[in-house]
Formats: sequence, structure tokens, C-alpha cells
Amino acid sequence: MATAHASSRRRNRVLGGVVSAAVGVVFLLPLLWAVGSSLRPNSTMFDDIARISWRTLLPTSTTVENYVHLVRGSFGLTILNSVLVAAVTVVAGLAVSVAAAFALAVIPFRGSGLVFGAVVISFLVPFDAIAIPLSALLRDWGLDNSFLGLILPGIGNGLAVFLLRQFFLAVPRDLVDAGRVDGLGWWGLLLRVYLPLSGPALVGAGLTLFLFQWQAYLWPLLIGTDDRHLLGPVALAELTAPHNVDYGQIFAGGIVLTAVPLVLILRFQRRFVQSISTTGLK
Amino acid sequence: MTASVKVDGAASPAASRTRPGWRRRGEVAALVTMLGPMLVFLLVLRLAPTGIAVVDSLRRDTLLGGDQFVGLRNYATIFTDPTFQHAVATTLVFSLVINPLQVVVSLALANLYTRGFPGTGLWRTLVVLPIAVPPAVSATFWGVIYRPDGLGNALLHSVGLGSQGFVTDSHQALACVILLLSWVGVGYWMLFLIAGINDIPRSLYEAAEIDGASAWRRFAHVTLPMLRRPLAFVLVADTVSNFLVFAPVQQLTNGGPNQSTNLIMFDIYTRAYTYGDQPAAQAEVVLLVLLVLVVVAIQFRLLRAKD
Repeated sequence: MATAHASSRRRNRVLGGVVSAAVGVVFLLPLLWAVGSSLRPNSTMFDDIARISWRTLLPTSTTVENYVHLVRGSFGLTILNSVLVAAVTVVAGLAVSVAAAFALAVIPFRGSGLVFGAVVISFLVPFDAIAIPLSALLRDWGLDNSFLGLILPGIGNGLAVFLLRQFFLAVPRDLVDAGRVDGLGWWGLLLRVYLPLSGPALVGAGLTLFLFQWQAYLWPLLIGTDDRHLLGPVALAELTAPHNVDYGQIFAGGIVLTAVPLVLILRFQRRFVQSISTTGLK
Repeated sequence: MTASVKVDGAASPAASRTRPGWRRRGEVAALVTMLGPMLVFLLVLRLAPTGIAVVDSLRRDTLLGGDQFVGLRNYATIFTDPTFQHAVATTLVFSLVINPLQVVVSLALANLYTRGFPGTGLWRTLVVLPIAVPPAVSATFWGVIYRPDGLGNALLHSVGLGSQGFVTDSHQALACVILLLSWVGVGYWMLFLIAGINDIPRSLYEAAEIDGASAWRRFAHVTLPMLRRPLAFVLVADTVSNFLVFAPVQQLTNGGPNQSTNLIMFDIYTRAYTYGDQPAAQAEVVLLVLLVLVVVAIQFRLLRAKD
């Protein structure tokens, strides 16, 4: 009886493992296929794709020429633009969000809860919903086709403020009192006491800011489409438009645009999941 | 703003007796410099565009080159426009299919990947990988899958099935968009539910096991009720994000064939830029923002109801 129970348990475990693996592989396949295709010479691209065999995933003759063209061509520059825009967004966005989150979490003032509520609620309206009227406004200000115009919307991020405020609230109050006794003002307290403790929260908030900007498509399409200010995702979509499409470039470009956030998400997986679960339980 | 801000610590009688006046001013200055930039961003990035949308939606260009207040006429125009009506109906059908689908699949996978089966960490990571793929990139990759000579038809041929039109068939295009969005979305929403499941006290499962509850009963009587909050959050956040789907429609289908994928965001975009009808587009923006606010308000109610 006991052994029958144990063996049915083992069978369940094996079955569960098999299903787990099968589902994981199904999700992986399109990505694996895209990586394989990015290493395929353009001449055999659709021969390999159209007939299903092991070659569909792993090209017979691999080549890095697609990536070389990418670096040499104009598409590579658009990825550099994306890196620049995302990097400035993270730095400026963290500065603005850290200061605001600190004020809302640590400084006691009348209306603190009200201001926090206003920040959270106004940023709950997703950015894309108001992107079209905002693009009209920034165009009036002459910010179309400028890096500033591309960066600005990414800096005000309610989720980053929320995450940082949660973290600051958990810092023991004694530190505030000790710092005040030492004669630190609020800025001194933030920069000398809170900031050095905040590494993990900064990573989570920084990742949020980065992903928002890196994944943006509608906004750069609305505000920055001249050659010098083209971002990677928009350039990639434009590559598919003409008739003579260079599929090698498309796959290589798509893989690079995916690899950058993927490396960051995997590197900071714990922070990422933690910030996600904080959001889900608010 | 400066005048209305009062620092509580400094305002209490004891503190104001011991602290010199310059110090109190310093506190207010710190508060203003810390909160100010975020409030400016909030004003410029959220309130101003919403205000612009409302104002522009109530005006229309005159033949003389100016514009005039026309009340709700732009709203009346779009509500009687068959294209807009069709876009609303399409968005509704799309929402009613994709949201339950993604939530149910995410829940099933979250359950699967918290049971401690062999290799769970690795397989779970594979499901999460696609969330790194930006929308413009996933649309591009799946565009090649959906090509007539692409991977999709190659797979169908290999199991002896005939070619399908995918995004060129008005009966399949919306389903194709849903599939590619779910490839990215399911892993993301699953993470929230896994976090929720991990927060459920193990003792509840142990008690259920001692009572001889089957795996299915443990899921129905322990996991599901304890997951109410994360589930409500995921359902609402997923619904809101799916109202804003744009990249795959713009890149793959242009709203077609036969408007079958003309979701609301794309309808706003084409109205504003292809047809240049800004007032009508802004009226749609206002309606979309209102819709999102209603959904978010429902979320607050759902989450409050429990406590």
C-alpha cells in the first residue's frame, strides 16, 4: 500500500517534470529560432525556414555577417541611440524618483498622503493612452526629433517612486533621529544615510525605468523619426517595410534589442521579481 | 505651493521653540526641491496632455483657419462613425478573449512552476525569457512566422496540414495578434502569481494534505482563495495593458484585413495621423483615459473588498 502510494507519487513527479519541461521549451522555441535565423546567411534564409528539420533551429552554415552588417550599417547607430536614451532616463529618473520618494516616505508634512495618492493615481493612467496629446504639446515646444523629447516621458515614473518609497519606509526611524542629532538636513540625510543603504531598491527602480524606455515604440514613433534620432525598435519596424527586406538584419537587430534587457533581467532577476511582487500586492 | 507646505516637525510647539527660523525655512526648501521635479513631471506628462485632449476634443477647425468650441459634436461624430463602432467592438472582443486566456494560462503555469517538480527553476526561466522581447521586436519575429512561406506554414505542412493565411485572413488575424502577445505576456503575469503563491503559508497546504485533499482540491480550496488579491491585480493590469496594444497591429496588419484587428489605440493613431482628424482622435483619447480610470477604480474596489 505504502509502496503503491510512493510509486504513484514518483510517477506524478516525473509527469510534472515532463510537462514543466515541455511548456518551457515551447516558450523558448520562437526565440531559439530567431537566434538561429540571425546566424543564417540571407541566401538560405527561407530554404531553411520553409522545410522543418533540425536546420530550422540550427543553421547548417552559420555566419556572423548579419551582426557585422548591423554594426557597420545605420541600424547599429539606432541601437546606440536607444542605449543613450535609456541610460539618461535611468540616471535622471532615479534622481527625480529618489528625491520624491524620500520626501514622501521620511519627511513628515501635512498632505503627504494626498501628494502620494496623486502621484500614484496620475501615473496609473498608462503613458501610451495620453502619448498622442503629449506629442502635440512637446512638438509645440520644439522638442520633436530631439533626445530630450525622447527621454522626458521616461523620467516621471510612478512605479519607481512607489518602489523606492516602500523601501525607504522600511528603513529604521532611529537612523533619521541619529542623523538629525548629527546636524544633517533632509538632503544630507538622504545622500549620506539613506542612499548608501538603497542599492537593492535603486536596482529595482532603475530596471523599471530602463525597461519602460527600452520597450517604448509608440512614443519614439510619434516624436523622433528623423535619421539622427531614430531608436532601435522604430528602425527595426522600418526595416520590414520596404519590399527588398534584409531578414538577416532584422533577426540580428531583434536579437540585440532583446539581449540587452534580457541580460539585465537575468542578472538582477531577484530584484526584478521582488519589485514585481511589491507592485502586485499594493 | 511653498506657502501651503508646512513641516509638521517644525510646526509642533516644542520643536519651533528649540529650532531657529532659518532651519524651518531650510526644511521647506528641502521639501520643495525634493518633491518639485516629480510634481512638474506629473503636471507636464500626465495632467497637461489629458487637459489638452479634453480641450481639443471640444473644438474644431473653422473654414477661416481658426477653431471654435463645438461642445460634444466630435464625440457625436465618432459615435456615429462605423469605423469607430467597429474598433470598439473589436477591442471588446479582443479584451474578452485575451484577458481571461492570459490570466488562466498564467495561473496554470504559476501553479505548475511552484510544485517543486524536477528542473522547475530552469523551465520557469524559459517561460519568462520572452518578457525581455520588446513589442516591436516580437511583432517583427512573429511577422516572419506568419509569412506565407514562414515558420507557421512550414510547421503546418510538416504535420500534413494545408497553408493558412494567418495575418492576411480576416478570420485569423486577431487570433494571431493574441498569440504573439500571449507569448510575451503570460510569463510576465505568471511572475506576479508565483510571488502570490509563495506568500501562502505552507501550513495551509500541510493541513490540507493531512486531510487527504487531492492536488486539485488543494488548488481549489487553498491556492485560489489565497490568491484573490494578486489575481485581481493581474486581471486589471492585464486588461489595461491590452487596451493599449499598438505595435503588432501597426507592424503586421495595419488594422486589417477588413478592420478585423483595428484595436482602439490603432484607430486613434490612424485618425490622428493618417486622416489628420485631431479633434476626433482626441475625443477617443479622452474616452480611452476614462475607460482606464474606470478599470483602475474597479481594481481599488476589488482590492479593498477583501480587507
